[in-house]
Amino acid sequence: MTPPPRSVPPSDQSVPGPGQRGRFLSVTAERSFGERLLARDERALIELIEIATPWLLGISQAMLSDRDEAEEVVQEAFGIIWNRIHLLDPKQGGLIPWLLRITRNRAIDRLRARKRRRGYLERLSSLTSSAETVTPASEPNEAAHPGWHVHESVHAALTGLPEDQRQAVRMAYFEGLTHSEIAQQLGIPMGTVKTRLRLAFDKLRVTLATIKDWVV
Amino acid sequence: MTSHQWFEEHRTAFVARSLDPDETASFQDHLARCAECRQAVVGLERELAWLPMGIEPAAVRPGLQRRIANDVLGINQWQWNRMTTLAVAASLVLAVLTYGLGRRQIQKVERQSAALAQQVRAHQSLLAALEDTVSVMRGASRILQASFKVSNKPGGLLIFADERTHRWNVVVHGLPPAGPDQVYQFWFIQKDGMVRGAVVHPDSTGPTFLTMGMPPGGGEVMGAALTVESMYRPALEPQGRMLAHLML
Repeated sequence: MTPPPRSVPPSDQSVPGPGQRGRFLSVTAERSFGERLLARDERALIELIEIATPWLLGISQAMLSDRDEAEEVVQEAFGIIWNRIHLLDPKQGGLIPWLLRITRNRAIDRLRARKRRRGYLERLSSLTSSAETVTPASEPNEAAHPGWHVHESVHAALTGLPEDQRQAVRMAYFEGLTHSEIAQQLGIPMGTVKTRLRLAFDKLRVTLATIKDWVV
Repeated sequence: MTSHQWFEEHRTAFVARSLDPDETASFQDHLARCAECRQAVVGLERELAWLPMGIEPAAVRPGLQRRIANDVLGINQWQWNRMTTLAVAASLVLAVLTYGLGRRQIQKVERQSAALAQQVRAHQSLLAALEDTVSVMRGASRILQASFKVSNKPGGLLIFADERTHRWNVVVHGLPPAGPDQVYQFWFIQKDGMVRGAVVHPDSTGPTFLTMGMPPGGGEVMGAALTVESMYRPALEPQGRMLAHLML
């Protein structure tokens, strides 16, 4: 079992430059972003799009295995942020986590809509093959990506999980499968799936709780 | 397991969205009634907030961020391009119209200016002629007058003689149009005979004015005469009817 899928920038695509090295989006800065967006500061939205798009695109692309659809999801996420910024609740983790959550939820919605269209078995086959075609990262330009520090922490937390738990998290959290779908795909009882997920998430909650700021 | 225990155990699964659809619906119903579970779910969402960052960032296709910004802010690329195109087209049309209108205006002014200049030149010529005529009248040393009748209508011949400039100003009035093949001929009377002067063309609207110099040759002019002559047989001496003659 491998860690959650890592997307790799194809060679013909642009990679963000190193100009963002050392920038730091603290909780305070993130709050400032939220306040600026609330004040309808279009420049703030553009800055947020510049910073967060690579991460959101990575998530949606890894989940959907479709670049065009992934870009649509990212656009929808920013649209929701811009139009519903008044609903931002700092208690739920701040602006960036909200953006991550929206992106993941939209991707899951699309995955499930896709499943409804194609049929369950076809979807399973597609997921298996697409997961296998995701190429691991090869010497990514780490400094070019704001937030790399968070990625490393989360990735370390995931790779620290036992193989079976990591597999369950990947299928549930990053591929949008339900308990019963995971059980069916892996050929194990649903109770086992739930146990693996509960144990995995308990460990992840402890590890991820230490992440306070998003280093950019 | 009580109902609430089941929800307690599935809070994380709910946050991870890994419950089956019917389980999700049940959980949402429960959340609406259970403050403890609502608070716990909020806490779980906060704790797992960074989990999506476990996936590496993807390279962004050129122009994607701008397209997203434009779309979210309500300016899509098509509108942007259309607005830009329209703005450029409008500028060009405005420039062409301005140039065309300006050019047409300039041409109109040029035409008006040329017409006015022509009118001024015509008025200047008329004024010069009037000044010349009046100067002869004002400078006349002799004024001669004779009356005549043509077709029982009275007419007259008036001569202003300016001896300083050797010019005459001749006024003829009451002349009807000449008969077929006939003209009215003005003559200078000199010591050794008569010399042909100008042909007088009657003016139906008023008197006819003529300004003329003395005949070439330098002979002494003693008087003038007005006759009716044949148009086709001009003669050196008067052949037709004498309407009037005057002697200085």
